[in-house]
Amino acid sequence: MSAATPAATPLRRSRLAEILEALPHPTRWRHVVGYMLAVYRREWQGSVFSAFIEPLIVLVGLGIGLGALVGDKASVITGGASYVAYIAPALMASQAMNLGASEAAWPILARIAWVRIYHAIVATPLKPADVMVGATAFIAGKVAFAAAFFAAVLTVTGIVTSPLGAIGMVGVSTLTGLAFAAPIVAFSVTQKSDQGFAFIFRLIITPLTFFSGTYFPIESLPLPVQALAWCTPLAHGVALSRALAFGTPITNLWFHLAVLSLWALVGLTAAIVLFRRRMLK
Amino acid sequence: MTNSASGQPPLIRARGLTKTFGDRTAVAGIDFEVRDGEFFGFLGPNGAGKTTTMRMIAGVSPRTAGELEILGRDPDRDGSLIRAQIGVVHQQETLDMELSVRENLLIFGRFFGMPRPAIAARADELLELFQLADRAKDQVEPLSGGMKRRLSIARSLIASPRILMLDEPTTGLDPQARHLLWDALQRLKRGGTTIVLTTHYMDEAEQLCDRLVVMDEAKIVAEGSPRQLIEQHASREVLELRFPGGTENLDAAVLEGIGDRYERLAERVIIGCENGEAAHARALEHGLSPESWLVRRSSLEDVFLRLTGRSLDE
Repeated sequence: MSAATPAATPLRRSRLAEILEALPHPTRWRHVVGYMLAVYRREWQGSVFSAFIEPLIVLVGLGIGLGALVGDKASVITGGASYVAYIAPALMASQAMNLGASEAAWPILARIAWVRIYHAIVATPLKPADVMVGATAFIAGKVAFAAAFFAAVLTVTGIVTSPLGAIGMVGVSTLTGLAFAAPIVAFSVTQKSDQGFAFIFRLIITPLTFFSGTYFPIESLPLPVQALAWCTPLAHGVALSRALAFGTPITNLWFHLAVLSLWALVGLTAAIVLFRRRMLK
Repeated sequence: MTNSASGQPPLIRARGLTKTFGDRTAVAGIDFEVRDGEFFGFLGPNGAGKTTTMRMIAGVSPRTAGELEILGRDPDRDGSLIRAQIGVVHQQETLDMELSVRENLLIFGRFFGMPRPAIAARADELLELFQLADRAKDQVEPLSGGMKRRLSIARSLIASPRILMLDEPTTGLDPQARHLLWDALQRLKRGGTTIVLTTHYMDEAEQLCDRLVVMDEAKIVAEGSPRQLIEQHASREVLELRFPGGTENLDAAVLEGIGDRYERLAERVIIGCENGEAAHARALEHGLSPESWLVRRSSLEDVFLRLTGRSLDE
């Protein structure tokens, strides 16, 4: 490939070599996580505070306020449980979605377009794929951390009684956060300004909270809307989270996990391909 | 001129190096070599292909055609290995503004796989070298442009690279900050680091570079040391005569007789010559009476004007 090539003839590269070069290094991405942790260390107090206070506000405001309004009628959809208990595990999954989505938007674009440090990182031994894997792994960690707080609040308040269930819920929330974060990272790496994020949040993230079985069962929606809801990650996260909280048997466990994992994996692959295209011009 | 005289293989070697973006040719089949320990420059106006060439060398832009070898390796195959031995300073800042000055260095050491104690020692050494030690704990955001630029260079040196690449390193800096930076770069060169830089400042290229190539419209139009280039493409000295009343009435035959060649501007006549003082005396003999005059040595600016018929300033 490096043999004397006449200047006019473009080099031919083997497809396989290109794919291998595009793949992440097995361990180097951890230095990107280390970098993000160093940034996080400067702001963690605020972040911990909001991770702790947010579930409380949501539970008190929506659960108790709205729960009082709904009153006994709630048992029609909750199967006897209180409305707070019904929406709490779903709100945990939806918080994971919100955090995963926002962490995948501004912090990623900023490092490409505004502070531009990603340009410096891909000039080190790290490859674009290492940056994407590290950045996404950090988001997953941040979502897991917030979810753990949420689960602790639910356990302390007695809404969730099984510790094993609570741990499972943290796992589900993390996967849900990833299922949103990865494709949104892929979107962010193609953006020049943050205008596109308004579209994502107003037209996708916020509506999903209402159409994914968070506040009322998905079955009460028209069939086409139901079908659409099941194509997105949140409905699956909510279904799993609620079943784990209630300790009811989980139907379609593998289907739920498969949809969530698919979003995360396809999203990450797209992020790597698109980021590489942007950085290695 | 391109063959390394010392017999050592060059650190960077390009033959017919080409880069196209769709229909646009950014680099059109250029040849050059950078030798060990050399301060090498790409001089040219914006859009000449300098930055694209730098990106190809730094292993972040796959070439379209031609040969390219850095430290004996092909960036297509050994990108990571090559990047491990190159420090890159981008034209626009790429520092993390939230982290402290020292943290920016520490984080970067990790990207090169250095062990933490070695990074810490090297970071302190670089902070000292670039006169940033007293700002080590401060956030980057409020630093001056010159300090940020010095920090960028310090960061690129964290893993003690064989080659340091600087893209327009002093653009946007005030004169004092520029001179501080030039001093630091000259110290680095004396320490044995090979430095490659792009610039559109003539004085910068002249001050710093052992050897340079002049790029214009994707091609290399001249190559050599600043002295060689000036000797080959410009006369030794320049006599500038000022005529505030205008130059249009001056006799062309008279002007031709003063030096090797002349250029008539609105209020000045620029005369290329071997000896400026003697040319001035000739001008007075021919009856010219300029309001003021000055003699200066020819610069790369004159070389560029001669080669491209244009000035470097955008």
